[in-house]
Amino acid sequence: MMAPAVTVLAAVALYPTFASIALSFQRLILVFHEQRFVGAGNYAFLLRDARFWGALRNTVYFTLVSVAAELCIGLAIALLLHARPPARTLLRAAILVPWAVPTVVSARMWAWFFTREPSRLWGVVSLPDIAWLGTPGYAMHAAILVDVWKTTPFVALLLLAGLSGIPSSLYEAAVLDGASRVRTFFSVTLPLLRPILAVTALLRTLDAFRVFDVVYVLTEGGPANTTETLSIYAYKTMMRAGDFGYGSALSVMTFLCVLLLGAAYFVWMPREDR
Amino acid sequence: MRRRAALSALTGLSLSAALSCCGTERRAERKPGGKLPLVVKYQPLGESDAFQRLLRAFESDHPGVTVVAEALPSSSDVAHQFFLTALEGASQDFDIFVVDIVWVAEFARAGWLLDLSPLVAPDEVRRDFLPNIVDGVVLDGKTFAVPWYVDTGVLYYRTDLVTRAPATYDDLVRTARDITRGRRELGGFVWQGRQYEGLVCNVYEAIWGHGGDAHPGDGLLLQTDAARAALHYLQSLLASGVSPPSVTSAGEEETRRTFQAGRAVFMRNWPYAFAESERAGSPLRGKVGLAPLPTLRGEPGHGVLGGYQFGVNAHIAADKRELAVALVRHLTSREASIDLAAAYGRSPARGDAYRDPRLAKEAPLVAALAPAFERARPRPVTPYYVMLSDILQGEFSAAIAGIRRPEDALARAASLVHRLTGLG
Repeated sequence: MMAPAVTVLAAVALYPTFASIALSFQRLILVFHEQRFVGAGNYAFLLRDARFWGALRNTVYFTLVSVAAELCIGLAIALLLHARPPARTLLRAAILVPWAVPTVVSARMWAWFFTREPSRLWGVVSLPDIAWLGTPGYAMHAAILVDVWKTTPFVALLLLAGLSGIPSSLYEAAVLDGASRVRTFFSVTLPLLRPILAVTALLRTLDAFRVFDVVYVLTEGGPANTTETLSIYAYKTMMRAGDFGYGSALSVMTFLCVLLLGAAYFVWMPREDR
Repeated sequence: MRRRAALSALTGLSLSAALSCCGTERRAERKPGGKLPLVVKYQPLGESDAFQRLLRAFESDHPGVTVVAEALPSSSDVAHQFFLTALEGASQDFDIFVVDIVWVAEFARAGWLLDLSPLVAPDEVRRDFLPNIVDGVVLDGKTFAVPWYVDTGVLYYRTDLVTRAPATYDDLVRTARDITRGRRELGGFVWQGRQYEGLVCNVYEAIWGHGGDAHPGDGLLLQTDAARAALHYLQSLLASGVSPPSVTSAGEEETRRTFQAGRAVFMRNWPYAFAESERAGSPLRGKVGLAPLPTLRGEPGHGVLGGYQFGVNAHIAADKRELAVALVRHLTSREASIDLAAAYGRSPARGDAYRDPRLAKEAPLVAALAPAFERARPRPVTPYYVMLSDILQGEFSAAIAGIRRPEDALARAASLVHRLTGLG
């Protein structure tokens, strides 16, 4: 009974993964019909490749900051919506707008906003006169801001679903026991929300780690490769430069990192929360 | 991403394997109507039907042929990627296609461009086209593409703010400082400093302006005094405020908009921006002058040579090739070049077009740019150009942003280039 499912899984997931790994042991430049086995040569270069380490650092930083911000802001929004404000349905639909806009479109819109001179939001909010997308240090945070703007609604909605699943009898009991609102949050809400928080964090981490479109549209990895993530480096190496061997080695490294993150989740989460 | 790339790599491999083992002669297929379709892939030219009229003229000269023009994405990166995938997969969906000057060596080496020498002799190309473009399309004595139109970097200046264009870098910096003093809304000199191909063009122009060699040849000019001086100069423009910070994230269009909104005295750009500034409703109409790029010592600067050529897809049926070349000849003829110059402001790649009085009459701006095209210089001609440029973009960007010293950025670039391509 399992055979068809296993076959499909092998064809769509395992085969390409192993093909990538096999490619990563070759020098393969399709355009020039150049293909030879180089063993671990690509990986040996990768360990010395400052651009790879830079990309890894950028990716980790992007992931940590954006996921942390999305979880905090998302949780705050979920709590507000859960408190049954007026026009709750309307609000719930409204916060989803950034999530519904295709990433490339919203990133383009933000890019336009960041590069306007002088940059103004609705003619009111004025940003300091900084080349946001052209200054090392600022560009990465601009990308994180756009990602947080886009993905927080998704996080908020998942957490809102989690909040709705907490039985109201527990809150009533907390009130009877005379618990403060803060105490209720830390003793009732947070522990019961933990499984869904963990899943959301995992989903977002894996997604953020492979980030491509937001950053690529905003900066193409510039300035000075300070916003180049692993996916962008791999993409440029393969699709622009046509170096599939080294590009595959970069992809395999990304894959290994994601695998490690996933494994860490399973190791650290208590069994009943998974 | 990873999976898709791996898959396309595999399909590419299996396709080329399939092709090499069968090796059957392909024959052109006629459509039910009996007409032979010729498909042209080109980059969008602008608002005019002059290009369509040229195609219809070809059809009336060749009854039995119907020409289909298919536009490519206007981003040259995306177009390059399209060709990489389509041609590696031995696509026969198009017959002739535009090739950026920096792709010719790569596509020729990959075997995607039909060797046109039997039909368009290298000597003929040398005779008819601008000498500097010929080196980009005639490789190892074979014609791989026919130049269509050329492009080069020029200096724009505001005639209402300055009386003449600066000839030296010092002159440019001093003039920009004097005029922008006390005017916060007005920037000095805008150019393309975002990490992309345009930055490489700006840097090469600065290298030549500092006395760098004409032909990179075997080396890439990376570890030279001229290259270090060029990066120092560009970085100092930003550090001293002569160029506004927005330059570090600007491409051609961003700089053009800044300049056209009246927020800069000088701009480096391609000639297309002139037509835009002269358009009805533009605040700068009649206030813009064009000049050669400045240099260290004051002789007219060399702009980067850009532009597009037509190549013939090496995978198309053998009996279609002659027609395809006829279409290329038709589109790159003197008459056609002048039509395109008049309709779209594209500068002819043919030397004889500049000697034709019709060009001066119908496209005076293009005719006036002739000396700039004669001085224009190619970027390094190598099959590895795109790979090379990717490395240079990151390191040049680091140098102008001031996070690496020019000498360090150049040394890093040289070692990366060496490892990837064996060049440098």
